[in-house]
Formats: sequence, C-alpha cells, structure tokens
Amino acid sequence: MSDIQTTLRTRAAELLSSGEVVEVIGWTAGRFDNQTTPAFITKAEDAESLVFNEYCVNTTSKFSLMERGLGKVAVCVRGCDSRGINRMITDNQLKREEVHLIGIPCTGMKDRKTGEELLKCRECSYRNPVVYDELIGESVTEPELNRFDAVEKLEAMDQAERAAFFDSVYERCIRCYACREVCPVCTCKSCFVDQLAAGWQGKRSNVAENKFYGLTRVFHVGDRCVECGECQRACPMDLPLMLLNRKMIKDLDLLFEAGEAGLDAEGTNPLGTYDVNDVEEFM
Amino acid sequence: MLLAKDRLPQLLDHLAAQARVYVPARVGEDTRFALYSSGLEPDFEMVNTSLPPKDLLFPQAQSMYRYGFDDNGTPFIDPVHDSDNTVLFGVRPCDVQSIACMDDVFLTMGYEDEFYAPKREKLLIVALVCNNVAESCFCDSMGLDPNSAPYADIQLRQGSEGFEIVAQTEKGQAALSDWKSFLSDGTATRDNVSCTLKVDMTGIKDKLDEMYEHPIWDRISKKCLTCGTCTYVCPTCHCFDISQENRMKLGERFRSWDSCMFSNYTEMAGHHNPRAGKQPRVRQRFLHKLCFFEDRYGKTLCVGCGRCVEKCPVALDITVLIDQIGAADVAEGAEVLEGAAHGN
Ligand code: SF4
Ligand code: SF4
Ligand code: SF4
Ligand code: SF4
Repeated sequence: MSDIQTTLRTRAAELLSSGEVVEVIGWTAGRFDNQTTPAFITKAEDAESLVFNEYCVNTTSKFSLMERGLGKVAVCVRGCDSRGINRMITDNQLKREEVHLIGIPCTGMKDRKTGEELLKCRECSYRNPVVYDELIGESVTEPELNRFDAVEKLEAMDQAERAAFFDSVYERCIRCYACREVCPVCTCKSCFVDQLAAGWQGKRSNVAENKFYGLTRVFHVGDRCVECGECQRACPMDLPLMLLNRKMIKDLDLLFEAGEAGLDAEGTNPLGTYDVNDVEEFM
Repeated sequence: MLLAKDRLPQLLDHLAAQARVYVPARVGEDTRFALYSSGLEPDFEMVNTSLPPKDLLFPQAQSMYRYGFDDNGTPFIDPVHDSDNTVLFGVRPCDVQSIACMDDVFLTMGYEDEFYAPKREKLLIVALVCNNVAESCFCDSMGLDPNSAPYADIQLRQGSEGFEIVAQTEKGQAALSDWKSFLSDGTATRDNVSCTLKVDMTGIKDKLDEMYEHPIWDRISKKCLTCGTCTYVCPTCHCFDISQENRMKLGERFRSWDSCMFSNYTEMAGHHNPRAGKQPRVRQRFLHKLCFFEDRYGKTLCVGCGRCVEKCPVALDITVLIDQIGAADVAEGAEVLEGAAHGN
C-alpha cells in the first residue's frame, strides 16, 4: 500500500506540473492516528501530502463535481468511487473528459477506532476500479459474497415486524442529510426535501417525516445507487441505509432486470423509463 | 455530602417520581440522555453522548401555537407552553456550559423566549465532572475545566467512596434538602483529569476578526458536504426555522432545528441566497462559534465537546481549523479583497 502511495504522489505531481489537470482529489492525513480526510491538491509540491492507506474511508466521486468548469481534475478511484463517476456520467452530471481517473485497486478500508473492515467494504463486490485512465497497484481478486443476506432477513419478517423495524430505524434519524450530500447519485439541483413551497417534506423531525425522507430518497436513488455504501458510513446515527438501498436494488433487478449501477457509463434508468412490457404488479 | 454508589438507583427512582430524569445511557445503538425509569443503567463512563442534551430545552421540533376554527366557527390561537419538571443528571462540564450559551441566546439581551423559558425554569442541572476524557475532548482549551461545572445547580464528583455532592445554586440547595435521606457525610477523592487534545486559542478571535475575507475559507470548506451533522450534534447550535402544518380547520406553528450549513437556511424570497455556496456557510459556522457569539455574549460558542470532531463525515475538524487560523497570515486576506476590487 505504501507503494501505491509513493506512485500516487509521483503521478499527482506529474499531472499537476504538466498542466494536464488542475487538481488531484485524494486523501491526506487527519489529526488523529489512522485518520484521513479528503484532499484537494492543486500544486505539484503539495502532492507529497497525499496519503493512501487502509483508512481512506471517504468516497471521492462526489467531489469531482465541484471543480466543473475550472479544468480537468484527477480523481483517485477505487471500485466504489469509479462506479460513482460512471453513474454521474450516465446522469449527465459529469463528462468523462472532465476527469482523469487514477485507478487504485482496493483491499478494503478500516474503521480507525475498531480496526475492523468497514461494512461498506465487507459488502463490496467491485474492489477494482471499473473505469480508469491509469492504474496504480496490482488488481485484486473480487470477493464472493451474497450482498443480499440482510435483505433476505428483512423480507422474512412479517408486515408488523417490518413496520416496527422501519420505525425503530427512522426514530433515530436526525435529518442531517449527510446521506444525501455524500451520495454521488443525489445530484438533483433542488432536492424534494428543500422544495419548501411545494411542501413535500415537513420540517418536523419525527418517525413519519423521517421515514418519508428516507424511503423517498431510497426510491429516488434506487435504480442508480452504485452501492458505494458512503451514505451509511456518513450517517452520524449509523442507520442501516444500505439494507434499504439493497432491497430496492434487488426488487428492481427482479422486476426490471436493472442490474448493477455504475459498471459502465451508459447505464439504464428502469425507474425513469416506460416500457409497455413492464410488470405492473405494484400498480 | 456523599451519595454512596449503591444508593444512586434509589435517588434516581425518587427523582423520577417527581420529574422527568435524563441520564447518559446507551439505548440500543445510540448513546444519549435517556429518560430514566427504574432499571435503566446510566453510563457515566462513556464520554460524550452522540446527541447532546439540548433537545430537552430546545426540541428538534417544538409546537408554538395551534390555531384554527372551533366547532362554532370562531377562530382561535392557543400558544403551547409545554414544560415538565426535568432533571438532567450526570451531565458533563462541556454540556453544562452549552446550556449557559443557550441561556444567553434565549433569555438575555432584552429578549426572553417564551418557549424556552418555562422549560429552563423547570430544569435542574446535576453535573458530573469528568473522570475520563475522549481523544476528541478539548474543553480545557476552550476556557473550561473538565474537573468542574460551575454553571450547574448541583455538581457531583465521583470517587471510589461514591459521589460527592455540592449545591451551587439556590435551586440546587432546595433540591439537596429533598435528597437528604439518600446522602451521608463525606467527600470523594478523585484525580483531576485534563484533555489530551489541545488547541491554542490565544489571539484566535482577534485574528478571525480580520479574516472575514481570507483564502483559508476556500481551502478548508472544499471538503465540507454542507450536511447538518456538525450543527445537529453540537450542544450549542441553536438556529431554528418556523413552519406550520395545516389539517382541515386546524393548524399548528412549530419551530424546528435548522442549520447554517443547509443551502436554504439563508434563502430569501425570489431565491436570493447570500450564502449559496459552501465557503460562506462554513465561514459562518466557524465565525459564529469563535467570534460573533463572543462579540455579543462574551463567550465562545464552542465548548470543546468534540462531537462534531467525531461525527463529521469528512473530518472537517474545528480543532484543525483553530490550528490553521493560528498559523494563518492575516494579510493574505487583504489580497483577496484587493483581487475583488480589481474584479478577479
Ligand atoms: S445521514 Fe442518517 S441521520 Fe442524517 S438524514 Fe441521513 S439517515 Fe438521517
Ligand atoms: S445511496 Fe448510498 S450507496 Fe447508493 S450511491 Fe448513494 S451514497 Fe452510495
Ligand atoms: S463540517 Fe462536516 S458535519 Fe459539518 S456540514 Fe461540513 S461535512 Fe457536514
Ligand atoms: S463546535 Fe463541535 S466541539 Fe464545539 S461545542 Fe459544537 S459540537 Fe462541540
């Protein structure tokens, strides 16, 4: 991993000094041991502060939207980050030529406090970047896993149990919207939550309003969610957001063969597409 | 006076019979100030609860008044002033200081908030000074002392003998006379603690006063997601919005937490937004914490509890910011201004 970091610093400096990119988005050390924080490097001499280790918990994809218009930006992408980039391209949020992707195969990130692999990484089946302009480090073997384990438990509940479960989850939401802000596919210019005049979303924080927010968001991102797991990691209350996302993903796949989002830049929009052959069981 | 450890549940039961008692506790996956009922185990060891106690005085959503038409078609407006006798038990010095900050906002400078005041009046603050600190605690850099909570009504110090109890206000004295049967004579021995995370606040405010325009804000705000996490977990953040809900002939106005980090916080009619981007919002949050509040109330609005340090999803750390301000060259700000004057 320290090899990756060394190469990353070298490449970042080269990209910046050649003028190929105006900024490199990656990670740098935080205040505490085993802590990193997103970094935005604009000068070649600052490339030395880039860090890559097993504590790079932040997903980089969303940050690539910030510098649009200023010039090409280099973004460090692992599997999760790269899928976010792809999906943002599908969603017309970003153009492929606006980013230079430094691919980094990932062996999983750890929680700095517990030293355990992050849940989002344990449930990840794309550790290698799915799109990149250059690759730093050796490809890794993708793990075999059933990412719908938890969903199956949810489905096995009866209706009352499930209702109680959702209540217990959304009782704890504080509506900070970190899950939305961090999400590479939450790119609406005006979120339904913020359309106060339309009044979709009440400002009261209670189970009903919180559930309305959470479930509506799940629907909005369902066919585009790249399963980066960043929403769940960012949530200060540790809500099991990926469980809901994956339930949507599983159902969309079953009903519309939606597949997995962000594997390429073309992508599909099952929720935004009408087909006369669509199943209509829920109508 | 001393409260033996094994008498604590009895005291809490006694208090819970006359008031709503909140203690730091683990509830499921959360740590919070939980409503005590017999059998709930307070956890005084864990350092700050993930959510602060501010909800007790300043609920995330608070009804202000109900209005509508009664059965005879007569319009009415009924204010809602709900308040209960409440005891905040085992609160740490930083959170006690946060209540001092909120009191300043809601009760002083010629304005008394009619929704906050009744709740505050019925609140008894029982502080427990710290025997342990977290890596993110930095209250002693913010002018506080983890070993004392001067603003509390009653202060507890925990030693092996039990909790040494001192009343610090009249309200506290009155309460102690009611607690008498649970107390014995004695003192508790404990070692003073200090925070491991330190920042140097010397000159920070003076510098910030001159740094409204400064490139540092662009630099530090880049990674901010402008979520509301830092402000919602902060014990002193107190901004709110007022909304209403209408159903048939009845309506209710309520206020709810808002956050200066949200884009629509400053949005005005016609969609004008003086703080549309993240840079001015991040600047506002930190200047309010470290400058503006001090200008108005003579204290910093950060009590060093470390919650935002722990919870910010991008590790935008106020202590790092303070270090960066300390190291910053104020003159760089003049260049920004000059650039603006030349249309750059
Ligand atoms: S990040 Fe968590 S607490 Fe915040 S709004 Fe999303 S689900 Fe709720
Ligand atoms: S919903 Fe969550 S997992 Fe899906 S793309 Fe957004 S942040 Fe990633
Ligand atoms: S500083 Fe951190 S917690 Fe606060 S709004 Fe920005 S990203 Fe969210
Ligand atoms: S700004 Fe952060 S450290 Fe300071 S009081 Fe608020 S949450 Fe605590």
